[in-house]
This record gives sequence, C-alpha cells and structure tokens, in this order.
Amino acid sequence: MSLTSISTLTFQTNALDSIEALEKSLSTTQNELSTGVSLQDAADNPAAMVQVNQLNTALSASQQYSSNGNLVSTNLKLEEQALTNATNVLQSVQSLADEANNSSLTSAQRQDIGTQLSQQLQQLVSIANSTDGNGNYLFSGYATTTQPFAQNGDSVAYSGAEETSQVQIAPDQSVSTSDTGSSVFMNVAGGNGTFTTAAAAANTGTASIGPGTVTSPSEWQAASGTYTISFTSPTAYQVTDGAGTVVTQGTYDSTTGNTVSFNGIQVAISGDPATGDQFTVAPAGSSSAFATIQGLITTLNSTGLNSGQLATQISQSIEQLSSAVNNLNDVQASVGARINAVTTAQTTETSNQTTYQSQIANLSQTDYAAATTQLSSEEVALQAAEESYASLAKLSLFNYISG
Amino acid sequence: MADLLSTSVSGLLAFQQALDVTSNNISNAQTPGYDVETANFQEEPGQTTGVGYIGSGVDISSITRAYDAYLAAQVNSTQASYSSSNTLATQAAQVDNMLSDSSTGLTATLQSFVNALQTAATTPTSTAARQALLSSGQALAQQIQTYSSQLSQGSTQLESQLSSDVNEVNSLSSNIATLNQQIAAASSNGATPNALLDQRDQLINQLSQYVSVQTASQGNNEVNVYIGSGQALVTGGSSQTLATITNAYDPSQLDIGVTSGSGSTADITSEVSGGALGGLLSARSQVLDPAINAIGQIAVGVATVVNQQQQSGMDLTGAPGQAMFSVGGVSVLPNSANAGSASLAVTRGNLSDLTTDNYELKYTGGTTPWQLTDATTGQSVTLSGSGTSTSPLTGAGLSIVVSGTPQAGDSFLVQPTAGAAAGFSMVLTSPSQVAAASLVQASAGSANTGTGTLSSAGVTDPSTWTSGTYTVAFSAGNAYTVTNSSGTTVANGSYTSGDPIDFNGIQLTLTGSPASGDTFTVSPNSTSNTGDNSNLYAMVNALSASALDNGTTSINAATNNIVSQIGTVTQQAQNNATTQQTANQNATTNLNNVSGVNLDQQAATMLQYQQAYQAMAEVIQVSGQLFNSLISAVSANGG
Repeated sequence: MSLTSISTLTFQTNALDSIEALEKSLSTTQNELSTGVSLQDAADNPAAMVQVNQLNTALSASQQYSSNGNLVSTNLKLEEQALTNATNVLQSVQSLADEANNSSLTSAQRQDIGTQLSQQLQQLVSIANSTDGNGNYLFSGYATTTQPFAQNGDSVAYSGAEETSQVQIAPDQSVSTSDTGSSVFMNVAGGNGTFTTAAAAANTGTASIGPGTVTSPSEWQAASGTYTISFTSPTAYQVTDGAGTVVTQGTYDSTTGNTVSFNGIQVAISGDPATGDQFTVAPAGSSSAFATIQGLITTLNSTGLNSGQLATQISQSIEQLSSAVNNLNDVQASVGARINAVTTAQTTETSNQTTYQSQIANLSQTDYAAATTQLSSEEVALQAAEESYASLAKLSLFNYISG
Repeated sequence: MADLLSTSVSGLLAFQQALDVTSNNISNAQTPGYDVETANFQEEPGQTTGVGYIGSGVDISSITRAYDAYLAAQVNSTQASYSSSNTLATQAAQVDNMLSDSSTGLTATLQSFVNALQTAATTPTSTAARQALLSSGQALAQQIQTYSSQLSQGSTQLESQLSSDVNEVNSLSSNIATLNQQIAAASSNGATPNALLDQRDQLINQLSQYVSVQTASQGNNEVNVYIGSGQALVTGGSSQTLATITNAYDPSQLDIGVTSGSGSTADITSEVSGGALGGLLSARSQVLDPAINAIGQIAVGVATVVNQQQQSGMDLTGAPGQAMFSVGGVSVLPNSANAGSASLAVTRGNLSDLTTDNYELKYTGGTTPWQLTDATTGQSVTLSGSGTSTSPLTGAGLSIVVSGTPQAGDSFLVQPTAGAAAGFSMVLTSPSQVAAASLVQASAGSANTGTGTLSSAGVTDPSTWTSGTYTVAFSAGNAYTVTNSSGTTVANGSYTSGDPIDFNGIQLTLTGSPASGDTFTVSPNSTSNTGDNSNLYAMVNALSASALDNGTTSINAATNNIVSQIGTVTQQAQNNATTQQTANQNATTNLNNVSGVNLDQQAATMLQYQQAYQAMAEVIQVSGQLFNSLISAVSANGG
C-alpha cells in the first residue's frame, strides 16, 4: 500500500467521531461549571473521592464536637454560677460563725445568729438543688431528674448519683458536664482536713481545744488513730491511744494555755480544765457543708454547754466551714479548667473545620478559572472541527463531472 | 476486419461490466461492511497470423473485493475488547454513582448516626434526641436496604441482559453458518460471491460485539468461528447453540453453556471472554458481587457492634437494652446436584474474622470430611469441629451445624454477608428503648481514705454479667478482692493505677491509688440515673474501633474501601473503553483504507472506463468506416 486512499465512509465517520468526542468533553466541562463540583463519581478519581469522604466524616464529627462543646460550656457556666452563689452563702455563714465565736455573747444573741444561720442553710440547699434550663438538676450526677438534696428535720440527705455524665469535646477528650452533689457539698473533709478535735460532753472545766495542725504528715499517717487527752489534774495531762497506752504527758499552765504535741500533730488547749476533763483527737472523716451549718446551729441553740465546750465546738465548725469553702473553691477551679479545656478544644475544632472545608474544596470543587479556560478552548476546537468538516464534505470529484 | 469488430466489442462489453462494478461501488459507498470491488481486466489470447500473434481484445477475468483478513481480525478483536470494557464501565458506573455521593453516601449516613449518638449522649434525658437517634438509625437502615435492592436489581438486569446477549450470539452464529453454506454453494463454480462474503464478515464483526472470536478460513471461502480457547461456534455450515444455564448453587445466577449434538449442555462460562458477554461476567464478579458482600459486611458490623453495646446498657425503663438492628443471616446455597439429605445451619461467629468472600463447603467423606474453600481466592480454609450442634464446624468467622446425612461429593455455597444488607432494619420503636445508661453503677466507700477515684464502670460482656451488688475491697499492697452480695469472692488480683478491674462481665476503672481498707461498690444501675450516657459513648467508641478484618478495618474505613474499589474498577473500565475505542477506530480506518469506497477514486475510475468505452465505440465506428471504404472501393471498381 504505497498510496492509501481514505474511504469516503471513514472520512465521514471519523469526522463525526471526533466532533462527538469534543461535544462530550464540552458537556463534562459545562457540567463542572454549572454544578461547581469537579469530582462527580469515585471513578473520576477514586483516591480523591475516598479523601473527600474521610474529610467530610472528619468535618461532620468536628462540627458535632463543637456543638457538644457549646452544650458542655453552657452547663459548666451554670454550675460555676451556682458554685459562686454557694460560696457566697458559706462566706456569710463564716462571718456569722466568727460573730458567734465570742464568749461575751448571751444565749439569746447566739440563738439569733442560729436563726439567721437556718435561713442560710435553706438557701444553700436551694442552690444545691439548682436546675438547668431543661429542669435537669445540676448536682445530682447521672440522676438528672432526681432532686439531689432534701432537708429532713435537722439533716440534709443526698439522693443523687455518684457519677456524672461525660461528654466528648474532641476525639479522645471527654469532660464531665457537672459535679455530683456529694463531691461538692457532702464529702467535705472534717476538722482541719486531717483530724478532728472535740471536748467531752461531761467536761466540767472551761478549757477548750483548737482544731490543731499537722507538723509531720508521715509521722501522723503512721500513727493515725483516736487519741484522748485527759487531765489528771488542772495542771497535768496525758495522751492515751485507743488501747489506753500513754503516748505522752505534760504539765499544763492555765494562764498561757498549752500546745500538746504528739505523733506529728499539735493541738492548742486554753482555759481552765477540771480534773477528769477529756478532749479527743480523731482522724477526720467526711462531713457535709449542711451538717456543719446544722451542727453550728445546734451548738448555738443549746443551753447546756460550758464556755470551753462552746468554744471548742464553734472553732471546729469554723474550721469545717473553711474546709467546705476550700472544697467549693477546688470544684470551681476544676470547672474553670474544664471551661478552658472546652474553649481550647473548640478553637482547635473550628480551625480544623476550616482546614477540612478548604481541602474538600480543593479536591472536589470546580476551579472556575481553569474550567472556563478549558471550556473556551474546547469550544474553539469543536467549532473548527465542524467548520472544516462542513467545507471538506462538499468537495467531490463528481461536482466537476458534467454533461 | 471481423477481428477488429469483435475485439472492440469485447472491449465495449468489458468496460460496460467495469462501469457496472464501479457503479456498484458508488452505490455501496455508505454500506457498512462493503468491500470495494475491482474488475480485473485480462487480455484475450491472440490469433496467430503471418506476422505473429494479434490480441483479440479484453475480458473481465474476475471481480475481486479488496479485503485484508489480518486487518479485519484486528477490527474484530478491538471491537470485542471495546465492547467488553464499555459494558463493564456502564454497569460499574451505575454502582459507582450509587456509592459515590459524598454528601448522601454511606460514610455520610454512618457519620450522621454517630452524631445522633453524640447528641443523645449530651442530652440523654431528651426524648427528642433519642427519637432523632432512632430516625437516624432508620435512615441508615433505609440506605443500606436501598443499596441492597439497587444492587439486586442490577443483578437481575445483568442476568436478563446476559440471556438476551446469548440469544443474539445464537442468531448471529446461525446466520453465519447459513451464509457459509450459501458461499460454499456459490463458490463451487470457482467464482467468489463477494456480497455474501461481505455480509458474513459483517456478521462476524457484529458477533465480536458480544464475545471475543477467532476465525479460521476453510475451503470454498467458508470460515470457522471459535470462542474462548477453541470452542467452535460455527463449523462450516453448522453452528453450536449457546444456552444460559442456572448456576448449580444460585438459581438466580445464569452461567453460559454450549449444547452439544447429544443434547447435553457443557458449562463454558470460564471460557467466555471479551464482548458484551465478557463485560457482563466481569461486572458480576468485579462489581456487583463484591459490592453486595461489602455492604453486607458493613451492615453486619454496625448491627453487631451497636446491638452488643445496647445489650450492655440499660434503657429508660430500667431493662437491659435490646438489639437496635436486625440483619440478614448467612446464605447457604446447596448444590442442585447434591445427593445426600444434609442441610446446614450457618451462623456468624467473631465479627473480626468475617470476610467479604463467599465459601464453598464440600463433603468428601474422607478423614477430614468437610473442606472449606474460599470461592473468591480459591484458598482452602482450616475448619475445626465436627459439625454437630455441640461442636460446630468453625472457620472464616462462621459456625456451621450440619443436620441430615451428606453424601461424598455434596457441596454448598456459603455467602457470609451477601444477604445481610437486605435484612438490615431498625428494630427499636420507642425512644425509651435506647440504652444510654450503663447496666451498673459504681460508688466509692464513704470511709475511703486513699486517693483512688472512680473513673468508669460498665458491662463489657452482657453474656457473663449477672445482676447483683459487688464490692471491690483493697488490702495492703494494692491487692483487691471482689465479693458478691453473699460474701463469696468472685475475683481477686493486684491493682495497677489506671488498669481496669474485670470481673463477671463488668469492667471497673479507677484512677489514683486506693488505700488499704478502701472499698468500691458496683451495683445494678438505677432507673433514676437518666443522665447516665456512658453506654452511648461506649457505642460511639465501639463504632469507631477497628472491628472488621482481623481488627484492621473500622466500619467507616470499610465503606471507603468499597467506594474506592468500585471507583477504581469503573475508572479502569472507562479508560480501557476509551483506549479500545480508539484502537477499534484506528483498526477500522486501516481496514477501510484498504477496502472502503473512495468516491473520488470511483469518479476517476468511472471517467477512465467511460473514456475507454467511448474509444471502443470510436474503434467500432472506424471499423464501419473501414468496411464502407472497402465496399465503396469495390463498387467503384465494378461500376
């Protein structure tokens, strides 16, 4: 085949084939422009489609985390407010207790303070029963629809749950949406946080015992237990442990008061003890803020206490109130830290979302500039193909054969 | 002078015939499959004279068609490849299109479900959020079912297409055989029936659209046609009939067979390649079957993970959660030739062992009576157990119990996930049935003095959990003992901070270090704990875990894998189709350059023959004038 001749049919079909191919790519480009999507099916680019799917999943999850975060934030801010209110009440209670810690007050004056304290107690219970906008209790843990605190006579009981809801605010990061009423109000360490002190009810002297301090935590931890400080005479005392063994003993000077030290702790005793008077030192259990206030009210209302017992009990109450306030502050700090964590997580999520969206756009959305350029070049090619076909198809030798 | 006349008459006749051939060429310029014909001139043998041989004119010795068997074979083979790729691309694009949509695809629906779980977890007391979760699960079920029904519709269409294509092949091969007969008869006198040859070659080209063929020329211009590795379709004047036969396992699936003279049908499915038939078979094995199995695996994954977590939790009524999704079971298809009475009850075992392959279980009766083979990879799978209900055959994530008596040679096709998607649906009807809370609650002893605090408590294995109150008591050296309410020790061990403590299906996690004497209590959860969302989060975490394919693939990854797999098959088929189309166009152009009609060429030829014809007519006129001159010379002399 030195010379190939193009078959007339081939010339026509080939020309039509290429026009059809151009029309097809024009239509694809036009579709990209009109829909704004360049990645229509996985077959266009399977790897990119999978990436887009993954990015969409991540975006959707991230938006969910943001919305979770908003909800947690709202809840935690409500809790923060309730904790501030509770702290304010306890501070008022503290100043009333300080006021009451004055041996010159009359029994009637103490009872007046007791009445004021009762009102404060009611207010604290009401704060502890705060709800969010949906009627769910803030401090009842899982039992969100159960009222956590009920005042029954002289005691306030907790009937909420011991666990709180956790909400995810980022992948692998969850925060508690609230704190249980028991951790906020009930499980407050008693006494000075390590041990409690008390004056025996049968004491006849007027000596009182302070809340005491720990001088060597390790020594106390090794010997922790209940100890009795007994006055064998108004000027001599001895300390015995639970088994009755004497741990230490000393002389007492009622004019200056004395500091009794043993097993890593020290307590201050002042006033005039009578022979046989006893004071106890015991490891601190936990007590509730409500019980502390109620205990103070009972102390202030009681008439059968001598000045030493009164002073001992009021100073214990003051010490426990400050434990309760400290506990509230600790919870509040933890709430603040959680709000910060949510804010940080939300900032991260927002920036992630922007990244995901721009990556999705890069992978799947039409580059208008490029697509428009492509469209016009394809138009030119199609026009050229059509025009050349129309003019070439007219050419035939038969046109020149006549007669 | 008589010679001059007869010579020119032979020329007149020859050029008239040549013009007829040209005219026929021009008439068929647009006829597909027409091969341009040429009148071959041959000089008539001369007559001897005293001065030597004088030729006695011209004759048309033959009329031949311009045909190149090699180029034609190229056209046919590229036609078969194009048709195969194009059919596969068309079928695959439908599935690809269904799976691809990134805003409404399965990955998006799955994520919406996870988001609904998250929303319900943030507000576990909200009936609206629980209802939204059920709706979202419903939407997920709907989508998986839609996928399943679209794929099953695709299969039905494919089988009916297969059946009609087989009919088309039969009709074409029968016509080719008939033409072979006619060609043989017409060729017996030594002439070539060009029109019949064109028609037959055109039919072979049409046949190539359905299946890849090879041809072999025989005597008398006949051609034999073969498919696959030498399976004769047309032998001279007779053709073999193809038939669709029902698959031995799956009655809904058609195989291709060839009917022999004795009337028996042999399965030649594996021999069929190329053309629309080859494309359809590829679409079945590369697109539809893998897609339905993969969607099934995802359905089983979601149902297993969510249901197990539901059952580890407590719903709003205080009852242990019920399954949220139901899912189609394992399909077992006995071979239609089975002689024994055995039937199989197959259940799925461990989710991570489950694959998307199908399996063939064969009874050999030998020392290892049951043999399991992965039908997709052909690899044999180790089975343990004997097949009784107490010792089921286990392998490939399946548990198989045989009832009845099998006979050696009996076999079954087991499809672990193919039927799962069709039966995937939401079972829960009431928002209160969402098991948001844990089955258990935990509390720390009020007299605890250590720093150990509760982190979480939940049921991890509902099947071994027994409702009751358990006390975890710590003694010196971080040792702990778990006792039940009657004081019996159920577990003990040594505690490491942060490590979970497991007993009776319960997992308790603490942080910090508990002191000697500290206790923690795990008791059945209370219905008042409506804010407990721990089980919903356990569900969210379980759904994102790599639960599939031996713990390598998450459910989300599995959905992306199938999108990618089908996308790649479609992309390759589309690329192949484009390449093969171009190759076919080139081959066709090459063939047409040899055998097609060029009208300009024919016009020139026509002018050429016309002039030759006119010249011959002139010669006859000259012959007449010569004769007249002779007559007038003779009459002038005589007169």
